[in-house]
Amino acid sequence: MKPQSLLSSINPANVPDTLASHERAEIDASTRFPVLLFFGSAIFWLLVGSLLGLISAWKMTHPGFLDSMAWLTFGRLRPAHLNTVIYGWASAAGIGVGLWLMARLCRVPLMHSKLLISAAIFWNLGVLVGVLGILAGDSRSIEWLEFPGYATPILFIAYAFIGVWAIIMFRFRKPGHVYVSQWYLFAAFLWFPWLYATANILLVWQPIQGSAQGAVNWWFAHNVLGLWFTPIGLASAYYMIPKVIGRPIHSYYLSILGFWSLALFYSWNGMHHLIGGPFPAWMISASVVASIMMFIPVVTVAINHHMTMRGHFDALKWSPTLRFTVFGAMTYTVVSLQGSSMAIPSLNTLTHFTDYTIGHAHLGLYGFFSMMMFGAMYYIVPRLVGWEWPSATMIRWHFWLVAIGILLMVGSLTVGGVLQGLALYDPTVTFRSSLEYATPFRLVRGVSGFFLLAGHIVFATLFVLMLLKVGQNRKGPALFVTEPQNKTGAAAV
Amino acid sequence: MTAGLLLLVAGLVFLSGSALLAFYWAVQDGQFSNLTEAPLIIFDDDEPVGAPTDRFPSRK
Repeated sequence: MKPQSLLSSINPANVPDTLASHERAEIDASTRFPVLLFFGSAIFWLLVGSLLGLISAWKMTHPGFLDSMAWLTFGRLRPAHLNTVIYGWASAAGIGVGLWLMARLCRVPLMHSKLLISAAIFWNLGVLVGVLGILAGDSRSIEWLEFPGYATPILFIAYAFIGVWAIIMFRFRKPGHVYVSQWYLFAAFLWFPWLYATANILLVWQPIQGSAQGAVNWWFAHNVLGLWFTPIGLASAYYMIPKVIGRPIHSYYLSILGFWSLALFYSWNGMHHLIGGPFPAWMISASVVASIMMFIPVVTVAINHHMTMRGHFDALKWSPTLRFTVFGAMTYTVVSLQGSSMAIPSLNTLTHFTDYTIGHAHLGLYGFFSMMMFGAMYYIVPRLVGWEWPSATMIRWHFWLVAIGILLMVGSLTVGGVLQGLALYDPTVTFRSSLEYATPFRLVRGVSGFFLLAGHIVFATLFVLMLLKVGQNRKGPALFVTEPQNKTGAAAV
Repeated sequence: MTAGLLLLVAGLVFLSGSALLAFYWAVQDGQFSNLTEAPLIIFDDDEPVGAPTDRFPSRK
């Protein structure tokens, strides 16, 4: 039975243990409403964010496009895109996946769902107010923190609710081992409210002065990726990959090493965005060293996921979850090693202030994190609504559209960025020409936006069909599979 | 400037420090005492090792 109030849950002894053999189904069912609420709103913001991104991308090559009104100008649309996808889509999707995983891994039904539903409402209200604020011209012009000061407390309330909930769930978990995914989730849920509050206090509410603002800004922005998105994405991969193929993690020792080294090194990484800036050299150096140290957690994760998958790569044909998750896991390796290399000062001077960085950011947030979230949603949603995904064809369309879209985007921005960087190096080339080198690649990036938006529309349609339970229910595949012979179920592909 | 930087460094120490504290707890709690059994915790009688749990919906 669920405890009745926050107060009664101070003591775990107040919660009788009534779970029987069907505990997993019961736990899944208990997460239904809050998780679907976070997923639904995340997908809504994904569509809005993709559209804002697409328009911003076209403005890079066609400056006159949709410039008749102030709120449609690049200076507002681009931060609106960034914040919509960061807070509206990625964070909400991550919270949804996190709640579900947390309940499963604690092996207790989700408690205090009203707290989480309030969090979801506050969350979406905060994003809505923030995005409208940016479009109205109230952007703070601080990257990743553009939401105006009147929107951020609303988001913070939602974060705080989730943090408190995570502590309660962790306290009430069934005794036994704390699985590696749980460490990642617990870290993310506890660190983030604190990070967000610190950055907002120092930059938005009581701004500190001078170049220290830049230091706080990048400390925060990089930690959003490292201590919020990365742990949630990896928590999902560490659960989904072994669970889908039915094989435990290759080396559990490495997974533990990976988590703790990430926890130690990642928070020092942010200053590498400021190489060459007006900061004490030791700060930048410490950050560069920490960035290189990130090789340890990244390589442990890469080895682990690869070795777990080895011999099971045919599973990519028959499992939608795995297809997205493995795409995300492979991208994680690439994007992290790329990130470490970009912290090396000699390489940084080439890539800094070019489209290369934009490509890197999208590879991380989309190629890694968003793909992980799609994969997790394909696993979770059928178990929440008790219904199979209505169309395998649409899932494949979703995968190929977004996979081609993101590779096209990152590829074009990377090549364009290097050419742009080389041109900036060359004293005989004017600044204007250095931008012209990038133009054809920016056109390709604009085209890639259509692929992504189309993929998102397909996914949103699938999600709505699931909620409405349209069509004939097909029992079996994703739901409640126990027979090992499904491993050879490639016939269904 | 100085106050901000001090706060920032305090922040870095706090984040890494909280990780160290949690690590200390985990060791004391015996979380790392049996790493061979640990990864099996996500499996159970209903969904044992060797049973895949996801597939594309079949055509009908």
